Amino acid sequence: MAKTGNKRYVMLLDSRKCIDCKACVVACKAENDVPLGVFRNWINAERSGAFPRLRASFDPEQCHHCENPSCVRVCPTGASFQRADGIVLVTEADCIGCKYCMIACPYGARFFNEETRVVDKCTFCAHRVDRGETPACVETCPSRVRTFGDLADPKSPLHALLESRRYRILRPQTGNGPQLYYLL
Amino acid sequence: MHEPVWEFLIVNYLFLGGLSAGIFFVSAFCTWLQTEGRPAYPRIARAGALLAPWPVSLGSLLLVFDLGKWWRFWKLFVVFRWESPMSIGSWLLLVFTGITLVNLYAWLTEEERNRLFAILPAKLPFRQRLPDLHTDLGAWKRNLAMLGFPFAIGVGIYTGVLLGAVQARPFWNTNLVAQLFLFSALSTGTAALILVRSLAKGPKDLAEFKFLYTLDICLITLEFFIVLPYLIHGQLSVLAVREALGLILGGPFTLTFWVLFMGTGLLLPLAIELWEFRPVLLGRGALHISQNLALAAAGLVIFGGYVLRYVFVFAGQASGLR
Repeated sequence: MAKTGNKRYVMLLDSRKCIDCKACVVACKAENDVPLGVFRNWINAERSGAFPRLRASFDPEQCHHCENPSCVRVCPTGASFQRADGIVLVTEADCIGCKYCMIACPYGARFFNEETRVVDKCTFCAHRVDRGETPACVETCPSRVRTFGDLADPKSPLHALLESRRYRILRPQTGNGPQLYYLL
Repeated sequence: MHEPVWEFLIVNYLFLGGLSAGIFFVSAFCTWLQTEGRPAYPRIARAGALLAPWPVSLGSLLLVFDLGKWWRFWKLFVVFRWESPMSIGSWLLLVFTGITLVNLYAWLTEEERNRLFAILPAKLPFRQRLPDLHTDLGAWKRNLAMLGFPFAIGVGIYTGVLLGAVQARPFWNTNLVAQLFLFSALSTGTAALILVRSLAKGPKDLAEFKFLYTLDICLITLEFFIVLPYLIHGQLSVLAVREALGLILGGPFTLTFWVLFMGTGLLLPLAIELWEFRPVLLGRGALHISQNLALAAAGLVIFGGYVLRYVFVFAGQASGLR
């Protein structure tokens, strides 16, 4: 899980609290100038059962900032990379737009940005994180679904949540080691 | 799952790259096989040598124009990332295309070389040094063939590796895709040369056709026996792979795969070639090659090669993990 002796940024999502208001999506769009029609984050809404026994579940999703990201592995130019703190980014100036990383991502978290003509994705708001702030989606969420933090920091409130709650990760079978933890 | 991000440009490229690899392979094979110190099938070898650079060059051009920022394609050639099949493939393509061009030059006659140099503008800065280049590389043919073999096979197989190396797409994620694309590439290359030799003027050289048919029958058979385990293993694999195979077993690509690829593009040309070849197989009667059947078989093999790329590129992207 966590890299030792280093920072390891992860996000915990308490889906039970999510009300599908999409404030996180809007905040991300505003913060990162994401073009119309494409998204760095989204909410998977699923309805199950039949009336009157209905259940709706809302699972926010974005780049999982995997421990072993397949997108980074397949990038032919090295534009896709992983920072020491685990954040997976694309160097815009080095991306040629071959889209191989979009094909390789098991989560469909990457998209082609028609304005910049290169591949785009969630950055965990690295520019904010580097200033000591939290990502825009985290700050905005009115029902506090999201907890962002450094898993390598023993004092981080992440640990209390991960120890007291059960959680799942999405599609662990690729071995990518996704770092969005969905609290159950 | 998602809209496909790789579309027809990529299908065309995978097909054209494989086609060149196949043409070069067969041409090089015909150069390498010698009878009495000379290439065994010089006309096939020459036709292949003259043809090989063009499909891959066109394909590479398409590949570059499929990029979001095509003018940044040079960034592929300032790094080598062994973990990225696309990085390996870009270098393979570059070296392979270079070899096919030198090989083409080696197969030009002196008269053709004279014509080539005559059309170069007189004011080219390096024009003075051209006489040095105006040399006969004919003696290198066999060495170039041998040098080119691994790169031709590399280009043929890498198009499959490119797809197969993606864990997130269960339709692709098996090494059989690499083998399938390789044999398909070699087979389409053979078919292209059958096509060229059938259309050539003059009486048919039966020895040539016997060689090309033998090769193509072997390659199609090998290809068939890769498709079969691909389907069987897939059906015996984990749920994600079974679901992915559903795309060609009842799903939206079923007709394309079974009718256009398996039927029209693989088994029908195999049947035609075996039928034409029956005097050799049965050891009775004289081999004679019908031009129409040869053209039909070769055309169908090439068509099948294209459909195979189409199905894999699009069905693969429609497959995913849950």
